[in-house]
Amino acid sequence: MENYLQFLSIAILLSGFILVANKRVDSYIKTFRLQSVLLALVAGLIGVGNIAREGNWEIMIVCLITLAIKVYYIPHLLKKTVQKVQYKVEKDFFLNIPISVLICCALVIIIYFVVPHIDDLRNANLQVYLANAMALVLIGLFFMISRKKAIGQIIGFLVIENGLFTAAILSTEGMPMIVELGIFFDLLTAVLIMGILVFRINENFESIDLDKLRNLRG
Amino acid sequence: MSSTISGLTFLMLALYGLAAVAALVFYRHPKLANVIPNIITIVAAFTGTTASIIHLLSDANRIYLGNLITSVPYLSFELSMDRLSAFFILVLSILTLAVSIYSIGYLTHYYQRRNVGLFNFLVNLFILAMAGVLLSENMIAFLLSWELMSLLSYFLVIYEAEEAGNQRAGLIYLIMTHLAGAFLFIAMGLIYKSCGSLALSSTLAGAPVWVKNLLFCCFLIAFGTKAGIIPLHIWLPYAHPAAPSNVSAYMSGIMLKIAIYGFIRFVFGMLGAEFQWWGTALLIIGLFTTILGAAYTLVEHNIKRLLAYCSIENIGIILIGLGVACLAFSTGQLLISALALTATLFHLLNHTVVKGLLFMGAGAVLHTTHTKDMENLGGLLKRMPITGVFMLMGSLAISAIPPFNGFVSEWLTLQALFVYIANATSGIKVLLIMTLAALAMAGSFAAASFVKFFGISFLGLPRSENAAKAKEVPQTMLWGMGLLAGLSLLLGILPLVMVRLLDQVVVGVTGATLSSSLRGSSFMMYYPVTVMKNSLTPSTVLIIGIILVITVWLIVRILSWHGKEREYGTWDCGFNGLNARMQYSATGFSKPLRIIFRALYRPNREFEVEPGVSVYFPKSVHYDTTTEPVFEKYLYLPISGALTGFARKFRMIVQTGSIHRYLIYILVTILLLLLYFRCFS
Repeated sequence: MENYLQFLSIAILLSGFILVANKRVDSYIKTFRLQSVLLALVAGLIGVGNIAREGNWEIMIVCLITLAIKVYYIPHLLKKTVQKVQYKVEKDFFLNIPISVLICCALVIIIYFVVPHIDDLRNANLQVYLANAMALVLIGLFFMISRKKAIGQIIGFLVIENGLFTAAILSTEGMPMIVELGIFFDLLTAVLIMGILVFRINENFESIDLDKLRNLRG
Repeated sequence: MSSTISGLTFLMLALYGLAAVAALVFYRHPKLANVIPNIITIVAAFTGTTASIIHLLSDANRIYLGNLITSVPYLSFELSMDRLSAFFILVLSILTLAVSIYSIGYLTHYYQRRNVGLFNFLVNLFILAMAGVLLSENMIAFLLSWELMSLLSYFLVIYEAEEAGNQRAGLIYLIMTHLAGAFLFIAMGLIYKSCGSLALSSTLAGAPVWVKNLLFCCFLIAFGTKAGIIPLHIWLPYAHPAAPSNVSAYMSGIMLKIAIYGFIRFVFGMLGAEFQWWGTALLIIGLFTTILGAAYTLVEHNIKRLLAYCSIENIGIILIGLGVACLAFSTGQLLISALALTATLFHLLNHTVVKGLLFMGAGAVLHTTHTKDMENLGGLLKRMPITGVFMLMGSLAISAIPPFNGFVSEWLTLQALFVYIANATSGIKVLLIMTLAALAMAGSFAAASFVKFFGISFLGLPRSENAAKAKEVPQTMLWGMGLLAGLSLLLGILPLVMVRLLDQVVVGVTGATLSSSLRGSSFMMYYPVTVMKNSLTPSTVLIIGIILVITVWLIVRILSWHGKEREYGTWDCGFNGLNARMQYSATGFSKPLRIIFRALYRPNREFEVEPGVSVYFPKSVHYDTTTEPVFEKYLYLPISGALTGFARKFRMIVQTGSIHRYLIYILVTILLLLLYFRCFS
């Protein structure tokens, strides 16, 4: 099972790279969906293991919720939002794609430089999991920085959350159910609110280009 | 014995708390919310006086009052009382006793206008916080009480918040008091780092020299700001006119002294007053504070601001005493140190008593005339004779005229200086001689200021409608003032009682006692250290004075045995038409000094004449003069201007409003923290 988990962990990280390399808003959502499927697979794998060992269904439920919310509902919601704010196809990023990918490589290298130094992490598998997840968090943050449209920020935020989720589930073999539920609820509300905010931004500024929002200062 | 003392002390604290609660319970009924809490406060103050006097007379030094340990690490509150705190509790209680009697009458003019319950709640918590500072045994309790004291006094300063300028005064006070708090926190951190304990009784004997020097500087700024040393004094002249008069009495009377307490506690107790430059620095600061404070007192004609500057001057005198004590302590001349410290503490007590009295008197004047400007007062002595007499006593005491108490302590301070001159090295000697001259000059300034204060406001003819209609204030206010006025006279006539009590306190700090060199009974007092044949008997001076007055009166009587008695207006030379505008004004009185010390005051003058039929009969003349607030203009404004300018520029560069830029800050911060973790931990 360790092999599969390692493979999935690296696949999730790679999906982050794919996201950074995407050019269209539609493909952002598709890549996010792919990443969420991989996440659900991880949860499912651990969940099956738990059921076989202790008859514990909690992780399996988390897997199902992930499928429902992250694979189906949130991408659906985002698609609807994108369709409603008619926007022109234009260049959405500050840096070109190769440079973005190179910067993400640098982030991964920094994380791999730092993580083995954490004293309490002696397990080699755990080190890899955690490094990949942390790298994904940083890539999500970088994605938020590099995109102009508000949809990019929402996806980046979701990717950060995915990274944290991976880190939690792979390093602890499943957090308590109540914590997971709380996080899901949080996420759902955040996405709903952000979706509404995108509409408002579009109405007020005739665009969802965040570069035009310059009033956020004291 | 110690159980009695601790019981009484706890009773005092509980009663202050009860008074605060009672004030809130009755807040809907102004009369009840005024009288009931104040009566409880009076009882509490009386308990506190008893407890501290019993403690000072007993043999016990440190009495452990108990502690409250919480489950949070380091968060424990320990209370204890040694002789030094007992003395300050005594000072606090005496002042509270008088002021709370006075407040019953004073607060009546707030009825229906303001929430009197809230006022009494804040005042009682304020007193409780001050008692907390004095009684705390560890730094957590000390800091907590200190900050509470600062914040509560801020709310009391802005009690009349909607009046012009009061909020600004409060803001200046808040900023300065936070400056003090910040340095205190730095000092506490340093102490914990170098001795590993939060107890106030821990010593720093083994700490490196630079730590001690840094700590001294921190304490100097922290306690100096609170005490109002120049140039950290700028909040005082604003806060006192803004605050209600009884709050001014508390703040000037005891809160400034709490800072001196902190100074003695930390610099003598904890740091051991080792280095000569500490004492020298205190002496120099004290010298400037005294001179400048006295000089500003002279030109002020807002009565409460005048008293505020006078407080600064007296803090200077206290600091001079403290400086001599510190210097002598560091050179091992313990007896001189003890003498100087006795003088310091005595002056501190006297200033509390007298300044409390004067602020209450200013409050009484304000209560009936509704003005703080001396140019609108005059002739009050005839209209409010008892207040007038008390204020005269206070003015004499603060100008150090025998037989009042101000004279004794200032004389003791001078004696300490004289003795130390005989025993000091030549460099220090020059400084001490200059200090002596400065003290003498400040004394004359203070006397002139109070001649002006009393003469302009209480003598002559009333300069305004309000002053003409002034009436004597309610009985309770008179009792409050009378208590302190009587105490001022008593301490002046029988100073040795107090000196013997103070000796008990000073032994605990310096380790030397004056008792062997104190000679004579309480009635006759001799110079404590037998170096020169200098002696002082204030009571004899009083008796001689009385005899002289009677003799002169008798001689005049006998010489004018056959004379006729005529009644006519004084000074009017038969003109019979004197009016208020013909008399000396407060501005006129200080004019000569404004001219002599033009470099210091930098006066601005506004002079407008509306010409009439001839140059000798102008229609109206307008004359206005202001002195420039030198420290504000040349020290504080440049600093605050530079800071705000920098902040504005920084905002334009860093805070651009772009979300992407903010996200970049987050990413860079995370990366730096990760790298820091990798490389340095």
